[in-house]
Amino acid sequence: MLFVATWNGSPITCADEGIALSDLRLYVSSLQLLDAAGIAHDLQLHTDIPWQQPDLALIDLENGQDACRDGTPGLFAYLVGGVPPGEYRGLRFTVGVPFERNHANPLIAEAPLDDQAMHWHWRSGYKFLRAGVRTQDDGFWMHLGSAGCRGTVRDISGCRFPNRVTVELHDFSPNSDSIAIDLKALFDGVNFDDGLPGDCSSGPAESACAAPFAALGIDFETGTTEGRQNVFSTYR
Amino acid sequence: MRNVLLACSVAAVLAMVFWWLQREPAYEWRLPADVPAPLVPADNPMSATKVQLGRWLFYDTRLSGNGSMSCASCHIQALAFTDGRARSIGSTGEVHPRASMSLVNVAYASRLTWANPLLDRLEDQALTPLLGDNPIEMGFGSHADEFAVLLESDPGYAALTRAAFSGDKNPYSLLNGVRAISAFVRSIVSFDTPYDRYMAGDDDALGEAAIRGMELFFSEKLECFHCHGGFNFSDSTTHANTRVDPVGFHNTGLYNVGGEGAYPEDNTGLFDMTGERRDMGRFKAPSLRNIAVTAPYMHDGSVATLGDAISHYARGGRLVEQGAYAGDGRLSPYKSEFVRGFELSDEQSRDLVAFLESLTDATVLSDERFSNPHLD
Repeated sequence: MLFVATWNGSPITCADEGIALSDLRLYVSSLQLLDAAGIAHDLQLHTDIPWQQPDLALIDLENGQDACRDGTPGLFAYLVGGVPPGEYRGLRFTVGVPFERNHANPLIAEAPLDDQAMHWHWRSGYKFLRAGVRTQDDGFWMHLGSAGCRGTVRDISGCRFPNRVTVELHDFSPNSDSIAIDLKALFDGVNFDDGLPGDCSSGPAESACAAPFAALGIDFETGTTEGRQNVFSTYR
Repeated sequence: MRNVLLACSVAAVLAMVFWWLQREPAYEWRLPADVPAPLVPADNPMSATKVQLGRWLFYDTRLSGNGSMSCASCHIQALAFTDGRARSIGSTGEVHPRASMSLVNVAYASRLTWANPLLDRLEDQALTPLLGDNPIEMGFGSHADEFAVLLESDPGYAALTRAAFSGDKNPYSLLNGVRAISAFVRSIVSFDTPYDRYMAGDDDALGEAAIRGMELFFSEKLECFHCHGGFNFSDSTTHANTRVDPVGFHNTGLYNVGGEGAYPEDNTGLFDMTGERRDMGRFKAPSLRNIAVTAPYMHDGSVATLGDAISHYARGGRLVEQGAYAGDGRLSPYKSEFVRGFELSDEQSRDLVAFLESLTDATVLSDERFSNPHLD
């Protein structure tokens, strides 16, 4: 299963003229395939792939070049896993790291949770999603992760804004389809011609987060995730 | 048979003696008798060797993404391990929203940094300046794997690392490197100020102005000590002999943007961590030890001198007359009840400054144990 970075439906890369990708890395977890009756079946990821745990993976679509120069050279663009034989028509997954692993010590975590660039050492927990685009003199990036956590770093009891996103794609065939992550949809409403690079790092005072959060189906003020995301879609 | 037993006993005793000689002596804090030892995490006990390793690492510019800065770049010993800037500047030139904090006696801080209720251990806090990318400080995040390589490949580091973490199968790790830096920073303790000597019975240690200033400081009229109290002059102070976890965050009326208590968006204090409106503009009361050498003041360095800081509290909040942050902090709905304002003559203000200056420990500002070993 392949992930593709897109801008308004067309692939976008770190080397593009005009609007280029500057970052796209995310943790996906709790993957399930939906059969014709809508019943969910757990997708077991293979652990011989270094960026996968059985129920969690790091997707990395930036190559550390050009506009992505602050990133990493490795590309982890696909998932490999298994489900019982059958006909599947949908896909469901979470963008995020399950609570317990999210707040464990990142210095002794198993891959792919050992990537320090994906950790939010001062907020506790991982950046579930890092995404950004750049133009010649403008750009925008966001880091999504849990905020408003209570307790202390080694003993987090809960977070007011968990900020995990559930993605559900119907009309998705695991054998032939890919998953598009559309940055135009994510950054809808961001002005890329004002020469003012902006950012959102999930803090409650950051008004720039409201639009990308809405695109992910999260109400920025309350943290509820009842909205529908429109960033992830089936890609053929 | 008896000889065999005897030989075995002798061997056992010799082995114990050998082990005893080999093991490192207990760490010496060199504290005054009435000062409790700092709290030390069970998984990172102090040792002189570990502190020494941490000292070399603290001053090593190889721990930044572009080799331009070390921990010490923003924590300069002569400035009580601050950097003298209003806002610190990272290795790539990015300006941090907040000012570098003093590391002296940080071992006693119950929470670390300006307004983070989650960070209670240096081992966790150190990861942000080292690895964080928003803003970029040392910018080592995409080089994190190189830390272990440095510890193993540099012969000096390899020997110190093996000795400091002798129980570890593989001692060369980011985890152990950060533990060593934390142990060094924790070792920077200081209780050798004129104020400390005065309290220990040396009546000549403080001048008359400082003594008058001390009385003002501890008065109910000024209320300074409610937040800056205790042996470390901060209400967020903990130590090895306590079971409580004192933590205080306070809005001092520094801003009142728009008249509804808001702070500038990049510095909302505790609110940024909790999302609770009542936490707007609440920051930790830092220790006042060595405060005279750590100007400018406040989380964003927006107060230039100790006299200005006193004026701010005397007014009961700061008036920002114009610009994007205009507003009267005195009227902030989130302001601490202890920031009520007070009348103070110019002479009294000077006395209070004299007292604050008596909290400077000249020894810790130049002590070789905390200096840059790469220069020796």
